[in-house]
Amino acid sequence: MKCILSQRKGKEMGGTRGQKLSGMQKQVLSLYRGFLRAARSKSVEKCCKIESVVCLEFCRNSKEVDRKNFQYIEYLLRRGHKQLDQLRNSGTTGLSSLQLDFSK
Amino acid sequence: MALRATILRHVRVPLEATPKLQPWNGFFRSMSSHDDHITKEEVVDRVLSVVKDFPKVDPSKVTPEVHFQKDLGLDSLDTVEIVMALEEEFKLEIPDQEADKIDSLPLAIEYISNHPMSS
Repeated sequence: MKCILSQRKGKEMGGTRGQKLSGMQKQVLSLYRGFLRAARSKSVEKCCKIESVVCLEFCRNSKEVDRKNFQYIEYLLRRGHKQLDQLRNSGTTGLSSLQLDFSK
Repeated sequence: MALRATILRHVRVPLEATPKLQPWNGFFRSMSSHDDHITKEEVVDRVLSVVKDFPKVDPSKVTPEVHFQKDLGLDSLDTVEIVMALEEEFKLEIPDQEADKIDSLPLAIEYISNHPMSS
């Protein structure tokens, strides 16, 4: 989802000082911030759990998703916003993720 | 009007009575109720300790001049986390547009010490 890492590195090697974020990168960072803010409104132990799940998901996507794959990133952004809306609901207490491996 | 002019011509206000700007005024200002804002040194200290506590950061590399990505090897997600941690430390809420710009310690320190709500 975040594809920013690779892009940033590319730009820095190009010698541009003071990286400029693209609109999509800003959207991703703002979504990430939204998740962390939502996590803080939950109880302390849930907050840690939620933060680790969210962090893992964003870090994973930032490495795995090609930064030019805009359609997929947009899909992830939309999905993320829906999940964030659910998380903001006070009835929601936790967040978990399921890793499916289809390679076998 | 004529009366006023006459009086004014005869009345002299002694120069000493006018308030003078004393060089030590700044010293007394620090005691005034207006100045309960945290000092820049305190901001620097607390910002440094927050950043040093961040799990992915090597505490020995942290100085008030470091850039999060270039010097500490963090990515943009880590930067978001650090800025959030700083928000929590200083009881602030930094809007997204501002938070996106904060990518180094000098910027963070400047933003926080200029923020009227930081505590």
